[in-house]
Amino acid sequence: MAKGMLIDVTKCMGCRGCQVACKEWNDLPAETTACLGCYDNPEDLSPITWNRVEFYEYEQDGQVNWFFRPVRCMHCLDAPCVKVCPTGALYKHEMGFTAYDESLCNGCGYCTQFCPFDIPRLKETTFLGKGKSSKCTFCQDRVPAGQVPACAKTCPPGAIQFGEREELLEKAEARLAHLRNGAPRPFPEAVLYNPSGVGGTAMMYILPENNLGRFNLPEAPSGALANVWQKIVQPLGGVALGATVLGLIAAFFVTRRNIRMEEVE
Amino acid sequence: MTVRLKGTERDVVTIRWIPKYTVMERVGHWLHTATFVPLAVTGLILYVPPFQSLAQGQAGHFIRLVHRVTAIVFGLLPILYFIIEPRRFVLSIREFIFDKDDIGWVINAFSYYLMGRHTAMPPQGRFNTGEKMNGLIMCVTWVVLGVTGLLMWFGKGAVPVGPLRIGFVMSAGLFQWMVLIHDVAMIAAVAMFLVHLYLAVAHPLMWAGLVSMRFGVTSAAYAAEHHARWYYGPKRARRLYEEAKKKGASETGQ
Repeated sequence: MAKGMLIDVTKCMGCRGCQVACKEWNDLPAETTACLGCYDNPEDLSPITWNRVEFYEYEQDGQVNWFFRPVRCMHCLDAPCVKVCPTGALYKHEMGFTAYDESLCNGCGYCTQFCPFDIPRLKETTFLGKGKSSKCTFCQDRVPAGQVPACAKTCPPGAIQFGEREELLEKAEARLAHLRNGAPRPFPEAVLYNPSGVGGTAMMYILPENNLGRFNLPEAPSGALANVWQKIVQPLGGVALGATVLGLIAAFFVTRRNIRMEEVE
Repeated sequence: MTVRLKGTERDVVTIRWIPKYTVMERVGHWLHTATFVPLAVTGLILYVPPFQSLAQGQAGHFIRLVHRVTAIVFGLLPILYFIIEPRRFVLSIREFIFDKDDIGWVINAFSYYLMGRHTAMPPQGRFNTGEKMNGLIMCVTWVVLGVTGLLMWFGKGAVPVGPLRIGFVMSAGLFQWMVLIHDVAMIAAVAMFLVHLYLAVAHPLMWAGLVSMRFGVTSAAYAAEHHARWYYGPKRARRLYEEAKKKGASETGQ
């Protein structure tokens, strides 16, 4: 039942079709942008850019490498943003992705600060902080209706595959085996990026080499502090405050029995 | 000032009132209350999962708005009070310093508050140990909540303040710690507040507290009993305490 996407960086050709398809389906306007001196454009993810292709150009063993990675929400299975969201606007959909109901969001911005991948963006930052959050929704209005997410649907080289997550994991293994000794160019260091620190992700990447920093991906993303906050501090705080109230109520009755007002000066 | 309470002949009580709090102290105290309570309530709405529906959408925007506007007043209050009554401020802070009598207070607090046994209680100054602990927690959490709150407010990037844009981008890891520390400080402050509220409104022996905070005066008999070091001065309070202890010991045959 859990859906996933497998994005093969060795197949991606940087056409940015997914970037456009995402905007088209989700009705997101174009950015006013400028040439940044590289192919990356626009500069960053934003409330109107939920998916953005990053370009990585580097030299290795005398050969120029040029890889591309569409950056968007990773849809962590154990998502820190869902844990810290006080409104339930971010929630895990039964189909495995991290869905978002904007009408519930109050703009607190905890998701932007607790996301290990720095994905959600607030719509506006006002003095009173009224901007709502925004991020890739895994095409939550397509997938439950049996359709393929817009990015996967449009991807010309088939670098973005959509399907059952379990099947995609099998496909990834086969693909990795092929890449490690495959022709025309082997990628002996090819890896699958599906970090366990966040319980695995519904958005998985096949990377040409195990150098995560090169692809702007964190080595060990985790929701550690989100867990400490939600699973330890919050319940303990509730217990502490509840115990205080109960203790005071008990103290009230004990005191009433022991101290008679007539004797009080 | 003497007030005679009328009752049956036996119950006529004469209360001599002595000043305890200045007008500004009382105004400051109640403004502190009037900001602390909404801050705690609006904060808890974001904190406690069962209140989730109140934190959602437009209601959530409003809750957060109230929290921030109130926080500004809450943060400025002690600073304003310091400007208005600087000497009194320093005097009160000095009264909050702990000493060895506070250990005796903690040891005897249980029988004192639950059973009403006073004799073993070491003489207290203008503020007793409990009030000192309340003061300490309130001062520390004022600083901690203020610093972490401001960092959470302005640490997510520039925020427009009138024509200016104030703020910076703090690392996400640091922000997460700020949230945690803000919560822990809130728990300490709210727990202390609950105890403070209980003693003020529900504890039979502490009836004078609310009167003092409203009218600025306290009963001389109450002050002599609960704040002897302040009422009699340290030397006489000590002597009376030793005498009372001896008397108590001989009465119980020890």
